[in-house]
Amino acid sequence: MTTNPAIEARQLRKTYTTTRGVFRRERVERAALRGVDLKIAKGELFGLLGPNGAGKTTMVKIFTTLLLPASGTALVLGLDAVKDQWALRKRIGFVFGGERGLYWRLSGLDNLRYFADLYRVPPEVSRRRIPELLERLDLAGREKDRVELYSRGMKQRLHLARGLLNDPEVLFLDEPTIGLDPVGARELRVIVRELADAGKTVFLTTHYMFEADAICDRLAVIRDGVIVAEGTPSSIKTLVHDQGIVEFEVVGMPVERLAGLRSLPGVRSVAISEHELAQVVTVHCARPADVMTRLGVILDGIKLEKVSSREPTLEDAYVQLIGENPTNSEASP
Amino acid sequence: MGTPGVAVTGLARAAFSAFRVSIRLRVISPWAYLNWLVFPVLFAAVGLYVLSSPGAASSHVVYGVLGGGLIGYWSVAYLEGGNGIQEERWNGTLEQIFATPTPLWVILLGKICGGLLFGLLAFLPTAAFAYVGFHAVLPALDGGRFVISLGVLTLSFFCIALTLTPLFALWRWAFSMLNGFELGVYVLCGFMFPVAVLAPWAQGVAGFLAPTWAVRALYASTLAEGPHNFATWWLATIGLSLAYLAGAYFLYALVERRARMSGQLALA
Repeated sequence: MTTNPAIEARQLRKTYTTTRGVFRRERVERAALRGVDLKIAKGELFGLLGPNGAGKTTMVKIFTTLLLPASGTALVLGLDAVKDQWALRKRIGFVFGGERGLYWRLSGLDNLRYFADLYRVPPEVSRRRIPELLERLDLAGREKDRVELYSRGMKQRLHLARGLLNDPEVLFLDEPTIGLDPVGARELRVIVRELADAGKTVFLTTHYMFEADAICDRLAVIRDGVIVAEGTPSSIKTLVHDQGIVEFEVVGMPVERLAGLRSLPGVRSVAISEHELAQVVTVHCARPADVMTRLGVILDGIKLEKVSSREPTLEDAYVQLIGENPTNSEASP
Repeated sequence: MGTPGVAVTGLARAAFSAFRVSIRLRVISPWAYLNWLVFPVLFAAVGLYVLSSPGAASSHVVYGVLGGGLIGYWSVAYLEGGNGIQEERWNGTLEQIFATPTPLWVILLGKICGGLLFGLLAFLPTAAFAYVGFHAVLPALDGGRFVISLGVLTLSFFCIALTLTPLFALWRWAFSMLNGFELGVYVLCGFMFPVAVLAPWAQGVAGFLAPTWAVRALYASTLAEGPHNFATWWLATIGLSLAYLAGAYFLYALVERRARMSGQLALA
């Protein structure tokens, strides 16, 4: 599908070397990426999902020329992220999540003017573009306030404005909604989707499944530096299409009763979580109807509430991929 | 204008923007006032008290008049290089500026020039304090040679800051050496007393530090008694400063590569 990709990784590997010990120093190597292959088409909004330490940020930093890979090739817009960093930096933008990365004691406008000059945006262009970005990202009117007076959402929007100063063809967003309130996160997602609709290629890393499901054209799931699944959100869900999920609430269920649930034919996993005074039990299984039929027998004498069966979500697929699947899976596109 | 012209203009604008941001951050930072105003006056007060006491050589009073200002100037210039890069790391902006199409040395050049301009302010309160508090003056000021010596000294500070800064960008532990080096230069380069009073081995070390020669020329430009070898001192300062710059050229190439290998530009 991606004959002329905007972003491409070929057997990308990265290893971090640290030392430990005081008197007997010992070198420790930790592999962050273990041979990643990836192709992202121009204009695509691509999401990379994975737990902390899986290699998401490392991959973003390699593509944005901040890190060198140990081996393999990282290409963005056909430019090598290792050798062509100066040409590449003019054509990409990036935003890291969190509040840091801005000069808090300067105004938002001063921050943007400074970075516009560092991105070598001609003054006549930046004079027009900065007000446009302030308007588009709902920062107009507050641009002369110091950044330290901004809310977290405003700071994140200012980060995004900074990332768009050079009108990049490819935008890398590393967990941009982390720590934002739901309204702020939703606003940011809408803006990101609009950017992709306007033709920019967007590479997004996130922990939030609903976010990835809602806005991404395609996804990959990374675990321990290896891509374990790749495809559209709906195709990734098909990885667990043979599963259903039964959920119910109980009060005061003895733990030994779980063994009875686990022993039912077709049950793949049983998880229990506390919800106020009740326990919420989630059963992943092949045939939800069979499980629901037998619940009454297994949980005899226990008050059962809110029994429901639902289709698997992206989060269910993600949990299975991250928690269970030790090898690569390829979702059908 | 051709492409090279546009590129040079863009780099100059980036450096000037870094200069402007550096000045703005200093103006609104209370810590900067400690370095250019409070500490220099304290050093000047101690120096003038000691050097004005009965029995002290009258020519040494100039060390009290200028010494506090020199210390303040050096502190601001040096800290803009070392502490400035650490501040960028704490703010999370070091990665942001590193990943722009402007080379790091251009950005630091602007920031260091901002620090130097701010650092020059340190001479104003110390000179005023010396004049008002101790009626101390520069007895035989040769304005032309004084200005040239100050310019040459500024070049040496600039080159040291530009050379040391990549070390702080590259190795976080280097920051722990910051205060030691700052103090070492005060002492070895003769900011508040002649280098001749130091031990011979320390004088030998001082000879390799560019500011030593510029400071010697600066003090000589305020005193009538000689011998005065201004041309030699200026050339020694310029030669050593250019040698530091040559080292900086390789250091920046090393920083560019090593920082991308280790990922040490981020705080964590």
